[in-house]
Amino acid sequence: MSDSRTAGALGASASREPAMSTEPSGAPETVLDIQALSKSYGETPALEEVSLDVRQGELLTLLGPSGSGKTTLLKVIAGFEAPTSGRVLLRGRDISRLSPARRGVGMVFQHYALFPHMTVAQNVGYGLKLRRVGRAERERRVGEMLELLRLEGLEGRYPRQLSGGQQQRVALGRALAYDPEVILMDEPLGALDRALRIEMEEQIRGLHRDLGATIVYVTHDQREALALSDRIAIMRAGRVASVGAPEQLYTRPADSFVAGFFANANLLPVVEHELLAEGHARVRCGGSEIRCPTTTTSVAGDGVVLAVRRRSLRRAASPGALRIAGVVAEMLLFGDEQEISLQSPVLGRVVAMMDSRDCAGLALGMEVELFAPAGEAVLVPVA
Amino acid sequence: MFARTPPDTTAGVAARRQPRALLGDRFTAAASAAAVAATTFALLAPAVLVAVLSFSNDSFFDFPPHAWGLRQYRTLLEDPRWGSALWLSARIALPVAVLSALVVVPTLFTIHRSRLPWRGVLQVGGLTGIIIPISAYAVAMYGVFAQIGLLGTYWGLVLANLTLAVPVMLLVTSAAMSRIPVELELAAMVAGASRVQAWLAITLRLLAPAILAGGVLAFVTSLDEAVFINFLGGPGQETLPKAILDSVRYGLDPVITAIATLLMVATSLAMGLAAQLARRGAR
Repeated sequence: MSDSRTAGALGASASREPAMSTEPSGAPETVLDIQALSKSYGETPALEEVSLDVRQGELLTLLGPSGSGKTTLLKVIAGFEAPTSGRVLLRGRDISRLSPARRGVGMVFQHYALFPHMTVAQNVGYGLKLRRVGRAERERRVGEMLELLRLEGLEGRYPRQLSGGQQQRVALGRALAYDPEVILMDEPLGALDRALRIEMEEQIRGLHRDLGATIVYVTHDQREALALSDRIAIMRAGRVASVGAPEQLYTRPADSFVAGFFANANLLPVVEHELLAEGHARVRCGGSEIRCPTTTTSVAGDGVVLAVRRRSLRRAASPGALRIAGVVAEMLLFGDEQEISLQSPVLGRVVAMMDSRDCAGLALGMEVELFAPAGEAVLVPVA
Repeated sequence: MFARTPPDTTAGVAARRQPRALLGDRFTAAASAAAVAATTFALLAPAVLVAVLSFSNDSFFDFPPHAWGLRQYRTLLEDPRWGSALWLSARIALPVAVLSALVVVPTLFTIHRSRLPWRGVLQVGGLTGIIIPISAYAVAMYGVFAQIGLLGTYWGLVLANLTLAVPVMLLVTSAAMSRIPVELELAAMVAGASRVQAWLAITLRLLAPAILAGGVLAFVTSLDEAVFINFLGGPGQETLPKAILDSVRYGLDPVITAIATLLMVATSLAMGLAAQLARRGAR
């Protein structure tokens, strides 16, 4: 793994740049290849035809609301659940029918799942012991892990003597120690409080960067996904709704679900639209006609909406901007920012998140105009 | 802008009401303490009485004793009847405890780790032994044992006591088992353990204190069993509870105060040990 570390880390940071191109030159090889995976419990489908590839050294997040199938997908990859159909390939080897022990993956659980009767060192060394790694080599490797995770001096402690953050670091160490091809993380920060979560995010990011580990990360927290991921797969009702780099999903959502769930965008009804060249469209919406990017190929009048993110809206007009007129229905102060709900007679409820200084003079019931600058609104298909 | 009178008055009312509420709480606390004390006394008084009586040197029951001494305990040691009764009880209780564990552990894994459709029934069914009235159960067992020739046999008694010990052990260990998250096994399996390895090295290891505690309780349950022995025991089969019952039936021998005291002390110690083990398992 040592040789691939730098390459993996570089690839990871390259794709996190805010550039639009998501493919770093010389695309890294696929580690985990998920092919048309389906899983149903009796009549209820939990996964439907999920296909996904995870590349060397990347952190791919499965993001979705509860019940979207993200944890089920992780369980199928780990081997806790057998797929109804489809395959999982790890470096080209079909692992779909193997027992979890033989897959060579690592996993971090939401509630740590540390072995309470084993010390920190025994927990971290457990996978090595099962692989019959010699005592000296095992101790060396465990020591390395503890140093990496800043757990030196705690090797003799039992899990119950550790803080939540320390326990989660031990869980990370246990998953990393035997150098698995891919590490699965099931909402690993879900049980931690907010401050600790942010600290652990940094740690996971650092580990990922330094080790070049390939990670599949499950969360329902959009902020966490943005902070950690090289790519995000957004899941909805057992399917992958969209996969892409965070910026791409954010600025060019594939459909209205992605725009609403991930970018928290307003979805505005469109009167008519016309597709132009190079992924742009001319759109008539709420009294203004604008030219904007689009991710739809549909020329039909219905089945499209205009996605406008809350932070795209401002009070100053600009050339080519989308104009939204309405009455202030609600105001919520979040310190430096303020959330303004506008009731528009044509567009319905529109929510804007604006700089508090920009909101001076606004009051409930007041008629205002807000503007989304050209290029900030995106025409998307209805999911 | 600032709220004036209304909030002030409500605050005042609340402030005035508080001491009264506290007084009420104090009364409730005192009442419940008294109730607990009375109940404890009522429960413990006979036990204490027997323990006191066991240090009497009288050859008949009387309270308070006329002379103090260890006469009852000496009689107990000198009469071979008590020793052999205790020996038989122990010889039955030990295999009962071990066999209970052998029955209960696979049952636990079936109830808590399998996806068998009938595992819920197993959970309830496992407890029937202590739900069915024991004398009715003894009658039924008498009929069955008579058919298959187990009446008056050592293994018959072991089997009968097992029907009581298994539910007791199941009750204790099931609670412990449900506190062991299945993720621990999954974590072990992902790290490279087979399912059996994960069960043995993780789950069974974590369950061990509860199994020991359950074993102690199973042992005590069997040791103390007084109904089955009367139905199913043969001539010459005299367990400790039966010996006590018989001695009471043919006139009050004060030596039973000594044996009762020893039995109470021993079971208390065993229960304490079991509780300690169970607590360690819960950590």
